[in-house]
Amino acid sequence: MFNQRSLNGSAGRRKWRYAIAAGAVTAALALTSCSAGGAPEESDTGELSGDLVFWSSFTQGPRAEYMEKMADKFTAEHPKVNISIETFSWGEFETKWTTGLASGQVPDISTALPNQVVEMINVDALEPVDDIIDDIGRDRFSAAALKEGQKDGKSYSVPVYSHAQVMWYRKDLLAAKGLDVPTTWDEFKDAAIALNDPPTTYGASVPFGTNDLMGTRYLNFYVQSAGGSLIDDKGRADLTSKAAIDGINYWVDLYKATSPEGSINYNVLDQATLFYQGKTAFDFNSGFHISGVASASPDLLDDIAAAPLPRLKSGDPVYGGETSNIPLVVWGNSDNKRAAKVFVESLYNDADYIEFIHSVPGGMLPALSDIADDPAYQDNDILKQFADSVSVIEDVIPLGSAIGMESGPTVQSGIITSQAVIEHMFQDIILNGTPVKDAAKSAQDKLNQLFVASGVSFK
Amino acid sequence: MKVRMQRSARIWFVLPAMLIVLALLVYPVLSSIYFSFTNRNLLRTAYEFVSFQNFSFVLSNPEFWNAFTNSIKWTVGSVLGQLLIGFFAALALEKVPRLSGLYRTLLIIPWAFPAIVIGFSWRWILNDVYGFLPNLLTQLGFSESNVSFLSSPDVVFWIVIGINIWFGAPLFMVNILAALKTVPRDQQEAALVDGANMAQRFWFITLPHIKKVIGLLLILRTIWVFNNFELLFLITGGGPAGLTTTLPIYAYRTGWGLHQLGMASAVTVLLLVFLLAVAAVAFRVINRWERIQAR
Repeated sequence: MFNQRSLNGSAGRRKWRYAIAAGAVTAALALTSCSAGGAPEESDTGELSGDLVFWSSFTQGPRAEYMEKMADKFTAEHPKVNISIETFSWGEFETKWTTGLASGQVPDISTALPNQVVEMINVDALEPVDDIIDDIGRDRFSAAALKEGQKDGKSYSVPVYSHAQVMWYRKDLLAAKGLDVPTTWDEFKDAAIALNDPPTTYGASVPFGTNDLMGTRYLNFYVQSAGGSLIDDKGRADLTSKAAIDGINYWVDLYKATSPEGSINYNVLDQATLFYQGKTAFDFNSGFHISGVASASPDLLDDIAAAPLPRLKSGDPVYGGETSNIPLVVWGNSDNKRAAKVFVESLYNDADYIEFIHSVPGGMLPALSDIADDPAYQDNDILKQFADSVSVIEDVIPLGSAIGMESGPTVQSGIITSQAVIEHMFQDIILNGTPVKDAAKSAQDKLNQLFVASGVSFK
Repeated sequence: MKVRMQRSARIWFVLPAMLIVLALLVYPVLSSIYFSFTNRNLLRTAYEFVSFQNFSFVLSNPEFWNAFTNSIKWTVGSVLGQLLIGFFAALALEKVPRLSGLYRTLLIIPWAFPAIVIGFSWRWILNDVYGFLPNLLTQLGFSESNVSFLSSPDVVFWIVIGINIWFGAPLFMVNILAALKTVPRDQQEAALVDGANMAQRFWFITLPHIKKVIGLLLILRTIWVFNNFELLFLITGGGPAGLTTTLPIYAYRTGWGLHQLGMASAVTVLLLVFLLAVAAVAFRVINRWERIQAR
């Protein structure tokens, strides 16, 4: 019995060994075939099929629902294509795509910020999308928006909507004091001080929180108005130019004169909430402020309006302080590039695209120039009510770029807006009393060190 | 033969758990140690061995030492506060004759919320313009104008430590309360008969029974609080002026903001070494308590 069991055991172990060996050979063959060819070769014709993963940063209700609807519509037309939309905030997306790239787990399609597109292009992560742009109509897109996603003559991103920073103000408060809408920084400061009546209303809140880019944004406005840039022609940070030093002094003075003390640590949401609640007379933001005020304080909606960013001197031309052209990208690792591209293109069908833009009227402005003149697009109550303000934003969109991208796409743009160096500089000046020039020089040196550490070589 | 089969069965039963532990614990730790000696960038596949360059850079950076000091203050303040509040809450709850289960549930509520909800809620509560607390203090006459808790260098650290104590004390309370239930009644009664007063009964009977639980809690919470990132980052972002920047926030900015995985790994390895040293000392103390108790 013992021997029989032993023999049976021995035979059983052999069977297991054969099974394991067979499994290992099969797995090895499967791996070899994967490494040799990966997914099945895509054909340029024939029925679309396969699974598409879309990482979307359109987190708000109407925009997220629209994307789900478009995915369902696409699947109805192409039953063999499954689209899975995963929604992340912009902050989460940054973590997701960088780790995803390291582990090979990236989607087929995603939204992206312009500075992220630059990094994605630099590591060869994206599929060129000139074919999509040409099919939609290259001349329908703004050249500046396309440029933010181009390298070596190829386009890697398709702008999906645009917005720009403008000055928002309370018409009723200005009228009550008999003040005009300010057009220069000096007028802006005077008006903000005149309207400052805390805790009921603050003239203007100046945010310097280190978990956001608001301090950088505000300094950039001032430097842009003087014709300068936070990144110089050689790609270095420039915080010690006259414009930058004047700008730092300007915002520090305004913080002390008209801003809530806590704004030294405000992020974009804290800052916007003050305006939504009617606690600030002025604010700087895009057309997204319309929907913010509409949901928080609908009674204030008739009292807000937008104007161009203040200029340095009276008579200076209007400039584009900061434009955001939010694009879609197709990832190079996608196994279904053809289906991915057809889906992206389907989002730009006029009627559907207008519905998408209408999901945040005034906040998202069309990336397709002709859509702005389309009567179907203009037929929206909010757009009619805020026609003048939206027109202001439309006018400055072509004039601006993302912060630090004035001379074209740069890696520095992502670093200057993500490392809170400028915000830290403002906090250091205000809380520790560090002299402005010393703090600016120190922040400039630190940014340049970070640029070098990230592989940037200056021209 | 039977013994051999039993041994092999044991291995097969333990193997899945071992593999999971290896995958989830050992692999990340070893890969962090490995990357800390490289210039690995999250966005690039190619990288080189750079010896101790990352450690040298990090250890000579004043921002690292500022973050390290803040981490120590944050951990010691939070954990001691949590222990004191949790300990006295447990002693009080033990004396509550009725509805103690309800009180325990109410006090553990902070643990039911994700950190992002807690972070944003406190940010709103403390906002100096529309926040509930500053407005309440002003209306009650405790301050002339709304206090800006999150921007004042003098109070911001105490405020975030207070929030962390509010969050972490219930864990101490629940565990100490459970430990208090194990203290033998007969010993307490015998001591009472022998004339021991309340303080003596606590020192010679209660404390020896619960101090091992307290010791383990202190080790666990020290590690968790030292590594905590989300609560501080969501409430202050490390500001103002770096006053609340702890090592995890510093590592996050280096790792995610700059994509410098090698540098961020060096920070986490230093963090690991420090915490292992603290845990080793603490476990030594607990083992000593155990040996004394066993005698």
